[in-house]
Amino acid sequence: MLVVAALRWSDQRATVDPLTGEVRTDPRTSGASAADRVALEHALRIAEAFDGRCLAVTVGPREADEVLREALAVGAHEVIRVEALAETITEDGSETARLLLDGLPDRPDVVVCGDHSADRGTGSTPAFLAQRLGACQALGLVELTVAGEELRGVRRLDGGRRERLVFGPPAVCSVEPADLGLRRASLPATIAARRAEIPVARPGSLRYLRAGGTRAYSPRPRALPVPREAAPHQRLLALTGALVERTPPQLVRPATPEEAARELLDYLRRHGYAE
Amino acid sequence: MTYAGPDSRSTVVGESTRTFDVVVVGAGPAGSAAALEVARVGHSVALVERGPFPGSKNVYGGVVYGRILDELVPRWWERMPVQRWVTRRSTMVMTPTQALTLDFRTQDWGKPPYNGATAHRADLDSWLAELAVEAGAVLIPSTVATGLLRDTSGAVVGVRTDRPDGDLTAGVVIACDGVNSFLAKEAGMYPVGGESAHLTLGVKQTLALPRQTIEERFGVTGRDGVDIEILGCTRGIPGGGFLYTNLDSVSIGVVLGLEGVRDGGTRPEELVADLKRHPAIAPLIKGGEQIEYSAHLIPEGGYHAMPELVGDGMLVAGDAAAMCLAAGIWLEGVNFALGAGMYAGRAAAAALAAGDVSRRGLSGYRKLLEDSFVLADHRRLRQLPGLVLSDRVQRNYPGFVCDLVQGLFQVDNPLPKPGLRKLLLRSAKDNGVRLRELARDAWTGMRGLR
Amino acid sequence: MNRVLAVLVVRDGVLPLGADETIAEAGGAALLVGTGADKAATELPSLSAGWLADNGTFAPGRWARQLAAVLRDTERVLLPASADGRDLAPRLAAELRRPLLAGAIRVNETGAEVARWGGRVCVDLVADGPFVATLQPGVRGPAPAEAQTLTGISLPEADARDVTVVEVLDPEPGTVDLAEAPRIFGAGAGLGGPEAVELLGEVAAALGASLGATRVVTDAGWTGYQRQIGTTGVVVHPELYVAFGISGAAQHLGGLGSPGHVVSVNTDPSCPMTAMADLGIVADAPAVLAELARLLEVR
Ligand SMILES: Cc1cc2nc3c(=O)[nH]c(=O)nc-3n(C[C@H](O)[C@H](O)[C@H](O)COP(=O)(O)OP(=O)(O)OC[C@H]3O[C@@H](n4cnc5c(N)ncnc54)[C@H](O)[C@@H]3O)c2cc1C
Ligand SMILES: Cc1cc2nc3c(=O)[nH]c(=O)nc-3n(C[C@H](O)[C@H](O)[C@H](O)COP(=O)(O)OP(=O)(O)OC[C@H]3O[C@@H](n4cnc5c(N)ncnc54)[C@H](O)[C@@H]3O)c2cc1C
Ligand SMILES: Nc1ncnc2c1ncn2[C@@H]1O[C@H](COP(=O)(O)O)[C@@H](O)[C@H]1O
Repeated sequence: MLVVAALRWSDQRATVDPLTGEVRTDPRTSGASAADRVALEHALRIAEAFDGRCLAVTVGPREADEVLREALAVGAHEVIRVEALAETITEDGSETARLLLDGLPDRPDVVVCGDHSADRGTGSTPAFLAQRLGACQALGLVELTVAGEELRGVRRLDGGRRERLVFGPPAVCSVEPADLGLRRASLPATIAARRAEIPVARPGSLRYLRAGGTRAYSPRPRALPVPREAAPHQRLLALTGALVERTPPQLVRPATPEEAARELLDYLRRHGYAE
Repeated sequence: MTYAGPDSRSTVVGESTRTFDVVVVGAGPAGSAAALEVARVGHSVALVERGPFPGSKNVYGGVVYGRILDELVPRWWERMPVQRWVTRRSTMVMTPTQALTLDFRTQDWGKPPYNGATAHRADLDSWLAELAVEAGAVLIPSTVATGLLRDTSGAVVGVRTDRPDGDLTAGVVIACDGVNSFLAKEAGMYPVGGESAHLTLGVKQTLALPRQTIEERFGVTGRDGVDIEILGCTRGIPGGGFLYTNLDSVSIGVVLGLEGVRDGGTRPEELVADLKRHPAIAPLIKGGEQIEYSAHLIPEGGYHAMPELVGDGMLVAGDAAAMCLAAGIWLEGVNFALGAGMYAGRAAAAALAAGDVSRRGLSGYRKLLEDSFVLADHRRLRQLPGLVLSDRVQRNYPGFVCDLVQGLFQVDNPLPKPGLRKLLLRSAKDNGVRLRELARDAWTGMRGLR
Repeated sequence: MNRVLAVLVVRDGVLPLGADETIAEAGGAALLVGTGADKAATELPSLSAGWLADNGTFAPGRWARQLAAVLRDTERVLLPASADGRDLAPRLAAELRRPLLAGAIRVNETGAEVARWGGRVCVDLVADGPFVATLQPGVRGPAPAEAQTLTGISLPEADARDVTVVEVLDPEPGTVDLAEAPRIFGAGAGLGGPEAVELLGEVAAALGASLGATRVVTDAGWTGYQRQIGTTGVVVHPELYVAFGISGAAQHLGGLGSPGHVVSVNTDPSCPMTAMADLGIVADAPAVLAELARLLEVR
């Protein structure tokens, strides 16, 4: 049984220039996301439960070795880095998945991923992995456990609903950083991992999507439905909301917290949010 | 697995094999310099750091005087991650509405071997630690030293960390864990009590500004930069202010005596806000967006406040040994930390080579320090922190000199210009300055710098 | 079917987040697949041409194969970037051998403008041919259609490995997805610590509201990261937002929609959160909260 933890190396504290959209990253603050760290913990537990091997893999540049050292320190049996440039803006999850699988020595039985990465953030990589492996997918899990020969998960749906899933290998899971934390590495294992050689696979290179300009995010104007009023004047009023009644903003400086709390409750009552 | 919890302090251990020849705690400038020196001569050394990477907890930028690196890194100025080289140094004395600046500029400091440089600590500390790692040190990040390991005779033989199976045994432990050193206290090297009198609080904000704006406002070009030290901006609380230029940000902040902060009831942020609003400062930083805020303790007691530096199996260096010069218009700590760390590393290596890591075997450390700037400067300047932080310098002199200069340059026609003597007396009287004390302080100051 | 089409996963007549907007972005045409599609179609003002396929429970592996068979000639396939859409879209793109432009803010003829780095950066991706895209919920708004035509279709059979769904759980009151909560009490750094955040959650619950938080609060671990509202957290559209000790940073407000009623409790009268509030209360947030809990007899 081979359980793979897919860890993406990216800057968890990148800054973005609000004018140009230029992303500034720093290898020192780069590493696995909270979700990926939880994925690693699950992979270790699943491997333990199935008496299998846990392999941690990352598709990334040399600096990404750091996340694999951390994986070794917490008990991954092997690690492998699949050589690739970090071109996070125009990279495609299907390409990551292709390269990742090409770089593995064996076909994995279970792959555990984070639910989305910090940079690309699409959560699509695990689905592409499942497609290529012909495996079932269980994505966006908030719980993942082993029960006998099976895996059980709870997946988050829209609107706060959740679904309970049962599945067996081959499977690809992605987990939210909920429930668990990554175990802490012992000191001897940490020291050993700092000195370890990290194996590298070079199965090919990533292809990127063609891209136009990059810029800082600014919200898209929200389309307003065309007003149905007949007269142009009425339509104008409807669009601008000029005659809609509005309460002017109010700033209060209550003398005591109690007075403040009462102000707040009064406001909620006035607007029908409390009896 | 045994978990060494944070509660475990000194632990007595039996005979055991050494995991490393030397364990350095804290990957600040002192720790990295120590590890580098030890690794260089072929001893094994671990560099234990609490933060996820060196400098992660020490995020403020400041001015670093790099000349001590001559001994550690050839042509260091080509490799050190520098923001700007300080070619302009101003000392400013202010009252809420006045400011008098002594402004000095030299292009000599803008070329090798340089003088001061502004640098971000995350960059600087990472670079220094990387030098140690390249030389063979093992950096162990995200790991806190929680206590000392001792043998039955009481000698230090390692540290305990917060990781499972977290004991690290070593021939020598070098404590470089920064101000208020937990390890040095643990080893009983600090005198008990009275610590806060020797501590100052540094509060700093980093404000982003376009590179070109900085160059226009501060009158510098290329990689040249400015260092402004300020007296009289702390509402009488002993301390001072500073303003440094980085490449595309400025660092502004105050350094305050801890007792003054406690008694004064003023929040340090308010003083920084005051300083930012001051008419002499506001135009320089206008439009700067705050990108970082940090506060940290600084040991400023100088020579008198230092702990014992050498114990059986243990050395203390840098801020951990209170080797920081923080007295109003001086703020130097990194250079002292680098120097002390380097000498600690050397002394440890020599002791290991000689097979004697006892207090005696390690005593070369103190000698190296005495013979170098580290202790020489501190000894020479030992009166200065007291003077600069005295009530008179803090509360009375800034107003006095500002009034004096204002009187000299103010044209009150049709009144005739007042004579210097009259001005002197009036400014002194208005600001509660006794000329006799002034003369005595001037003498102390001059003697202190002799 | 049309050259541009939205594909929506319907579960027991319940539509995914961002359904109507995705249809609007696709020009009004959509394929509704799942269970209860006919019921769902009545809740889509932007839908002009709808195809309905009853297809049983959601199974992304199998569905992707089935859908690919009928979507070969559809040049642009759009799904909302909600839970099921994000699950299905990559499989569909792979089956159709097309690029996936995931997390789009805007979709155009040749590609899409997608958000990266937690919604802080935008980039125009060019597809050079047919593609599949997912659209972020909440970015555009509806485009009501004049009339609606609906056509029932059935999808060809296919086989793929999928998980077994044991049951669907209703939302726990405490974890109702923030994105849909009509009333939210927001916890900011000004609350000072985890105990106050917990109390705010209880006070909110007493008033039928959900707990949200700023990144400072979730990063500090005072509450779960799921509660983070903002450009890198959940995008919400509440009617009522009551902010406790929140400064109102752009990244936070960016995810707040435009609530009808905003209250801000903050010691700083000029912070952006208070500036945009209908009622600004200049006071100590933890103290006001404690009083509120007392008045509401929470605890
Ligand atoms: C606001 C401010 C401005 C300053 N400006 C300047 C300036 O402009 N120029 C200048 O030269 N100096 C300046 N200083 C002083 C300077 O920062 C210090 O003197 C210098 O950092 C001392 O270096 P160090 O290596 O001894 O300690 P530190 O830099 O404090 O490093 C100690 C390291 O030990 C780690 N550590 C602590 N405890 C443990 C533990 N138990 N286990 C593991 N690791 C641990 C810490 O994380 C840290 O990395 C300033 C200080 C402040 C606060
Ligand atoms: C790339 C990036 C993405 C981000 N994404 C998000 C995001 O998605 N969501 C998000 O929320 N943030 C996000 N942030 C962080 C954001 O910039 C702000 O730092 C954050 O929203 C501020 O949270 P806050 O208001 O709780 O804290 P602060 O900004 O520290 O404000 C605290 C407020 O509490 C007030 N206060 C203090 N004490 C009291 C008291 N006793 N009583 C009452 N009021 C008091 C203060 O006046 C202040 O207004 C992001 C930041 C970056 C850089
Ligand atoms: N370059 C990569 N190397 C390893 N795993 C990856 C990589 N990119 C993405 N993943 C995995 O896929 C998950 C989702 O990423 P994304 O599709 O980029 O949102 C991540 O949390 C990782 O577990």
